[in-house]
Amino acid sequence: MSPLAAFLYQSLLGKRDQSGIVSLLAIALSFTGGGLTWFTIWNNAPVTVQADWFTIGETSFKVGILLNNLSTLMLFLVPTVALPVHVYSRAYMKGDPGIHRYWMYLSLFCFAMLGLVIMDSLLLMYVFWELVGFASYLLIGFWFTRETAIQANKKAFLVNRIGDLGFLIGLAIVFTQFKTLNLVDLFGDNGLLYQSAIVDGLWVSPVNSLPQIWFTLGGLAFFLAAMAKSAQFPLHVWLPDAMEGPTSVSSLIHAATMVAAGVFLLATVFPLFSESALLFIAIIGTITAASAAYFALGQYDIKRILAFSTISQLGFMMVGIGIGTWDAALFHLTTHAFFKCLLFLSAGAVIHEMAHLKTHSQLDFDPQDLRNMGGLRHYMPKTFVLMSIASLALAGFPLTSGFLSKDSIVISSFEWALSKGNLYLIIPLSLIIVSILTAFYIGRLLFKAFFGEFRLTNQLHGKLHDHPLHEAPKTMLMPMFVLGVFCLFPLFSFNPFSYHDSWLMDGLLSDEYAFAPSHIAHLIIPAILFLGSVIGWIIGWKWYVQHRYPFNPANPALKVSLNQGYINQFYDVVFVKGTLKLAQFCYWFDRHVVDAFVSLIQSIVLSISQLSVWIDKYIIDGFVNTVASVTYWTGHQVRLVQNGKIQTALYSVFLIVLLGLIYLLFF
Amino acid sequence: MITLTHFLVVSACIFSIGLYTVLSKKNAIMILVGIELMINAAILNFVAFGKYDKVSYSGQIFALFAIVLAAAAVAVGLAIVLNVYRHYNTINPDEVNQLKDK
Amino acid sequence: MESTLFYAFATLAIGSALLLVNLKNIARALFLFFIVLFAMAGLYLFALADFVAITQIMVYVGGVLILMLFAFMLSNKELLKDLQDNSGSFLSMPKWQAIPVVLGFLLLMFYGIFEWQQAPSTWIIQSIENGNNITATDNNIHQIGLRFMTFYVLPFEIISIFLMMALIGASHLSRKERTI
Repeated sequence: MSPLAAFLYQSLLGKRDQSGIVSLLAIALSFTGGGLTWFTIWNNAPVTVQADWFTIGETSFKVGILLNNLSTLMLFLVPTVALPVHVYSRAYMKGDPGIHRYWMYLSLFCFAMLGLVIMDSLLLMYVFWELVGFASYLLIGFWFTRETAIQANKKAFLVNRIGDLGFLIGLAIVFTQFKTLNLVDLFGDNGLLYQSAIVDGLWVSPVNSLPQIWFTLGGLAFFLAAMAKSAQFPLHVWLPDAMEGPTSVSSLIHAATMVAAGVFLLATVFPLFSESALLFIAIIGTITAASAAYFALGQYDIKRILAFSTISQLGFMMVGIGIGTWDAALFHLTTHAFFKCLLFLSAGAVIHEMAHLKTHSQLDFDPQDLRNMGGLRHYMPKTFVLMSIASLALAGFPLTSGFLSKDSIVISSFEWALSKGNLYLIIPLSLIIVSILTAFYIGRLLFKAFFGEFRLTNQLHGKLHDHPLHEAPKTMLMPMFVLGVFCLFPLFSFNPFSYHDSWLMDGLLSDEYAFAPSHIAHLIIPAILFLGSVIGWIIGWKWYVQHRYPFNPANPALKVSLNQGYINQFYDVVFVKGTLKLAQFCYWFDRHVVDAFVSLIQSIVLSISQLSVWIDKYIIDGFVNTVASVTYWTGHQVRLVQNGKIQTALYSVFLIVLLGLIYLLFF
Repeated sequence: MITLTHFLVVSACIFSIGLYTVLSKKNAIMILVGIELMINAAILNFVAFGKYDKVSYSGQIFALFAIVLAAAAVAVGLAIVLNVYRHYNTINPDEVNQLKDK
Repeated sequence: MESTLFYAFATLAIGSALLLVNLKNIARALFLFFIVLFAMAGLYLFALADFVAITQIMVYVGGVLILMLFAFMLSNKELLKDLQDNSGSFLSMPKWQAIPVVLGFLLLMFYGIFEWQQAPSTWIIQSIENGNNITATDNNIHQIGLRFMTFYVLPFEIISIFLMMALIGASHLSRKERTI
C-alpha cells in the first residue's frame, strides 16, 4: 500500500519532488512489511481476508488478500529487488528533467506489482496485471521525445494487449465452469478444481460441465497471457525494444519482476493445465530459450544482449512449468531476479560512464554499443567484478545460485523426458545447448566490454587523459553489491551442489514429482554444463580478446541473429501493414460504397424533390394560374358589355325580359 | 271577319319593329321613333280590347291618355337629345359612351 | 270588303314600319313614320274608336311628327349632308344582335295570342252576351266626354297637369345657355 501512497503523493505534488525520497521510503516500508509477512506466513497456514465488492445478479465478487507461500515469496522478492533499484536510480537519473515523473511511475509500478501477487481473485489479479502493463508502458516511453521510445512503448502495450485478451478468455472459461473467480475456492485444498474431473469427454465440475476441449483451452488462454507478459516466442518482440527506457527501469521491470508475473500467474493456476497444455508450454519455452540465445549471439547493444538473455531465461522457466516442476521454475525466477537485475545495473553503470564521456568529448557515438567499449576493467574494476559474478550466475557456474536453479530445471527436464519417451529428449538436449550458448554470449559481452583495449582511443586523440572514465558512484555501487551477494549460493541452499535441499523449493511444492529421479542425470548434466561453459569461454577469449575471430563478421548467420530472425520485419509486413491495409480498405469501402450508397439515396431524394418542385410549379400552380387566367379572360370578355352605349343596355334589358318570359311560360 | 286576333297580330308586329328600331339605330331621333312605334302598338292593343267595354269605355280613354303621354315623352326626349347634341355635338348614341368601363 | 280594307291598312302600317327601320336616310324614315301613323289611325277606325283615331292624327302626326322633323333638321349637319348624298345602298343592314331578341319577342307574342285565342277571356264573352260591346252606330264622342267628366275626371286633371309639367320641363331643358 505504501507505494500507492507514494504514487498519489507524487502525482499530486508534481515537479517539486526531485530526489525521490518519498518513493524510497515507501519501498523500504514495503520491504520491511513484506519481510515480516513472509516470515510469519512461510510454511504456515495461508491467510485470507475478504470484503464484498459488487454483486451482479446472483454472483457477488469479493475483494481480498490471499497470503500463502507463493504470494508471500513474491511479496518479499519484489521489494528486495526494488529497493536497490530505487537507491541506484537516485544516482543514475540525477539531473534528468522528468525525474519527478520517474518516481511517480516507479511507485505506481511497485504498487501494481505488489497488488498483483497478493490478490485472491483472478479478476483483481487481472486488474493489477493490466496496471503493471500500463506502468511498463509509461516507463518504457519515459523519454517520450525520442521517436524510438514512443514506438517501443506502443509496441509493448499492443503485444501485452494480446496477452490480456488471453487472460480475459481464461477468466471467462473459468467463470463459466466454476461460477467463481476466487483463488481459494478454485485452487485451495478442497478447491473446485480438485473436485472436477474429465468424464466421458466432458469436463465436469460441481457446478457446470463443458466439453473436454475447454479444459485445455482454459489453460492455454492463461498461457497466452503469460506468453505476452513474459515475452515468449512469438510474442517476445516487445522486450528488446523496451530497452529504450532507462536502465534502472529495465532492471526492475523487464528483468526481475514484471516479466516474472507471467510465471507467477502460471504457477498460481497450475492445476488448470491439462497434459497437452503443459506439453505445449514446454515446447514454447524451449523454442523461446533457443531462439533468444541465438539472437543474443549477434547483438552488439549491451542492453539488447541482456534483453535476449532475459527472454531465454524466461523460456527456461516456462519449460520448468511445462514439465510440472513449477517450484523449480519459481526458484529460477528468484535467482534470475537477482543476477539479472545486477547485470542490468552494471550495464547501466557502464552506459552512464560512456554517456559522460560522450558529453565531455563531444563525439557522436552510441554509449550502449559494445563495439565502442573495451578494456573497461581498468577504469571500472568494481563494476567489472560485480558484473562477472552476475554473469557466472547466469551461466550457471557452480557456487552461484544460478547453478542451483538452472540445474534444477535442466535435470528435471531430463528426468521428465526419460519418463515420457525418447522423443521428448529433444527438450533437455536443447536446454543443454542453450545453457552453453548462454555462457558463450555473456562471456562475449564481458570480453568485449571489459577486456582488451578501449576501442575509442583513436577517436579521442588523447582526450582520455583529460576526461578519464570513472568508476560508478557509490550510490550505484552499494545496491549492486547487495545484489551481488544474493547471487551466490548461501542464500538459497547450504549445499552448493544439490538443489533439492533448497528451502525455497521445499516450501513451494510438497508433493513428489510425477517422474522418477535419475541419479546419473544429477551427476552428468552439471558436469556437461560446466565443461561446456568453460570451453565456450575459452573460445570467446580467443575470439574477442585476442581478436582471432575466424569467421567473416558479416556472415549471414550473424546477420540473422542481429536482426532477431527478421521476426520484427515479418510482424511489420503481416500484421502492421495488414492492419493498415485493412483500414485503408475499410476507408475505401466507406467512402466509395457506403458514401456512394448514401449519396445515391441523396441524389434520389434530390431528384424526387426537384420533380415535386417541378410538379408544384407547373402543374399545381399551373392549374391554379390557369383557373385564374380563365376567370380573368372571362371577366375581360364579359366586361365588354359595359361599353357605355345606351343601346347595349336596352338590349340586355330586353334580352333578360325575353328569357324571363320564356322561362315563365314554358317551364 | 276581323276578329280581335288580327288586331293583336298587327300590334305585335308593330311592337317588334319598334323594338328593333330602338335597339339598332344609330340616330337618337330614330330611337325616339322606335319608342313611338312601341307606344302606338300598345295603343292599338288597348283600342282593340276596348271594343268590348261599353260600360266604361276604358280602352279608348286609356288610349287617349297614352297618346298624351307619348307626346309628353317625345317632347322631353327631344329636349334631352338637344342637350346631348349641345354637349357631345353628335346624336349618335354609340358616341355617348362616357360611362364606358375603361 | 271590310277585311280587305283592314288588310290593306295593316299591310301599309307594317310595311311602312319595316321600310322605316331599314332606310338609311333618316328624313325618309321620318316621312314613312308619318305614313305609319296614318295607317294606325285607320286601324283604330276598324276597332270602332273614331275619336282615338282623330286624336292620333291631330296629336301624333300634327304634333309629335312635326316636332321630330324639326329636331332632326336642326341637329346633325352631317346627316343633312347624308340626305343629299344618297350614295350606295338604299337599305341599311339589319343589326344581327337585335334580331334574335326581336324575333323572340315576336314569336312569344304570337304564341300568347295563339294560346289566348283557344280560350278567350270570359269578360269578353260576357260583354258580347250582355251587349256591352261597341257597335258601329254608337256615339263614341258623347260617351267618352261623359266618361271623362264623371268617371275619369281625376286622371284627366292629373294628366293635364302632367302634360303641363312635361312641357315646362322640356322647354326649360332646351333653354339657351347664357354664354359669358
